[in-house]
Amino acid sequence: MDARPLLTVSEVEKAFGGIHAVDRCSLAVLPKTITGLIGPNGAGKSTLFNIIAGLYRPDGGEIRFNGTRIDGLPPYEIVDLGLTKTWQIPHELRNLTVLENVVLAAKHNSGEHLLNLFARPRQVKADEKQWRARAREILKLTQLDGLANEHARALSGGQKKLLELSRALMSDPTLVLLDEPVAGVNPALAGSLMDLIENLRRGGRTFFLIEHDMNVVMNRCDWVIVMHQGRRIAEGPPESVRANATVIESYLGG
Amino acid sequence: MSDRPPPTSEIPWSGIVVFSVIGGIVLIGILSAAIAGATPKGILTNLGFYVSIAIVFAILALGFNLQWGYTGLFNAGIAGFYLIGAYVAAFAITPPAPPIIVGGVVVFPGHLGGFSLPLPVGMVLAMLAAGATAAVVAVPALRLRADYLAIATLAFAVILQIATTNLQSITGGSIGITGIPPPIQYEGTDAQFLNAMTLVGVGALILLASILVLQFMAESPWGRVLRAIREDEEATMALGKNTFNYKLQAFAIGGALMGLAGALYGVTLGYLSPASSFAPSVTFSVWVMVIVGGSGNHRGAIVGAFLIYGMEWISVQVRDQAVLGLAANYVLMRDVFLGLGVNALVALGLIFVLGRLRPGLAWAHPLALCRRSAVVRGVVLTAFAVYGVGWAFILVEQFAPSAVGDTIFYTRLMLIGVLLILLIVYRPEGILRERKRVLR
Repeated sequence: MDARPLLTVSEVEKAFGGIHAVDRCSLAVLPKTITGLIGPNGAGKSTLFNIIAGLYRPDGGEIRFNGTRIDGLPPYEIVDLGLTKTWQIPHELRNLTVLENVVLAAKHNSGEHLLNLFARPRQVKADEKQWRARAREILKLTQLDGLANEHARALSGGQKKLLELSRALMSDPTLVLLDEPVAGVNPALAGSLMDLIENLRRGGRTFFLIEHDMNVVMNRCDWVIVMHQGRRIAEGPPESVRANATVIESYLGG
Repeated sequence: MSDRPPPTSEIPWSGIVVFSVIGGIVLIGILSAAIAGATPKGILTNLGFYVSIAIVFAILALGFNLQWGYTGLFNAGIAGFYLIGAYVAAFAITPPAPPIIVGGVVVFPGHLGGFSLPLPVGMVLAMLAAGATAAVVAVPALRLRADYLAIATLAFAVILQIATTNLQSITGGSIGITGIPPPIQYEGTDAQFLNAMTLVGVGALILLASILVLQFMAESPWGRVLRAIREDEEATMALGKNTFNYKLQAFAIGGALMGLAGALYGVTLGYLSPASSFAPSVTFSVWVMVIVGGSGNHRGAIVGAFLIYGMEWISVQVRDQAVLGLAANYVLMRDVFLGLGVNALVALGLIFVLGRLRPGLAWAHPLALCRRSAVVRGVVLTAFAVYGVGWAFILVEQFAPSAVGDTIFYTRLMLIGVLLILLIVYRPEGILRERKRVLR
């Protein structure tokens, strides 16, 4: 692991009232890996993801992505740089169709600028056509193509997770933060979802994921980071983390 | 399997309801005027007024629909943007109006402006002023959570209305602005009729243009981002959209449309006064129009405007015209309603007996039918409502004849309230629901 990290989090802090959700946490994610983030409930994992994605402003510390400092940037600029996150509880846009949900996630769709609608109607049409085709490809990949024109609210819990992933892929990210991608997904689908993620990793993308399913963490991750009470308490390859006494005590149990 | 539309009833009930109710409104209007002895041209002038003002409300509803129906921004200050448009246009297009002073007392205050500009210029200025104000109000207000946005905009509208009433030297104060020129100045006996028809034409053109432009904008990738913000702003932001910019644009464009409605309103009426035309109740009416008509689609906003303003208009028509005629026929009405009641009782009794004799007959179980079919339920409810209103009318007429007109006038608020409750219970998405956008 001699590559330079894609994402570095240094001494990041976030408090809600008296609770230090993230307490001077530092970690790094190497490019083209699947890095797992585990830890007990309330360890600050989701909060850290929200901070990295720009949805929360950290109280202190520094975050660098691809060399650029991103803490304090609004979420849409972070997406622009190539970092996208999915939600633990799916945030599907309920009354939009599945296809609309995915097309919406495209970056640089000229029709999303009001003036272009009037000034460059042709380019708007061409762009939209191209993005729709791309969205359909992604939906085929995530096996949602049969539901493209259904309202997103009609999807099952597991399908909504797939929709989250589809939208994340649509923005063509370098790094994807996945918040519990397989929680609530049936084992067969979870398996194919993780296969898909491994394939995409081979294609050059990096995944940083929170997961409680030890099967996924131990078998699919290259590197595992353990958080407890807002701090990183251990990290390493899955086998070594599994053997770590502190981790067993705080999370995995005897 | 996904390409098949979901099963829907073959009969377009929503369309039938819309057309029959609006048709009913027009019919009652014509009847009222006829009872009062109006000429055909008088009746048309009257109807033209209804259509013109309904168009003004339709444009207001379109503006609010873009803000709330598409983007989820609950604007409670519609009346404020409407007021700005109305006054800016009036300043631009009216001739100069210095105050008239009789014996040292200002009998008729002047107002700002008096530029005698052409109507289209006035309308563009109204849109720019209202749109710019909306943008300025939006910058702080859109950072607030939804319910606080409503409070902030409501406060804005109320402040504006009070300021307009009191800034006499600029706005003409509570007397307002008179002598706003119509689109075309007619002379002669038919002037009123011709003016009404011109206003309907101008209004219809503006409404049509607004719909076309809005449809083009809102059903584009841009509009899709607005709908995404309505569904979940945080998620939309995490999908890489600068949601604040979109909200600002939607709010400003909606505000500009409200300004356009204001300009049209001033021209239609020929005068402006801030007391009732720009009260918060205007805002509430527009909400009801969009909720009843169905949010998230332009047709719904227009239908809602014609329906709800139609109810207001009818109540005025009935008060001013029909009551005189109907009161004279009080005995006839009483007999008709009595007869209807007796007949209904007999019919119910027969159905009951038949149901006992032939248990297999579905139609002989009215309650079971009511439970099973929404249509039967609707018909029965409507019948009871008509019957009840009829009797209420007769009773009030019997005990307080002079109060009938006012009673009907104020009953409209109650009726609108009942309609709103029924609609929210049975059809929360409004008469015309938002369509699913099937992308190819």
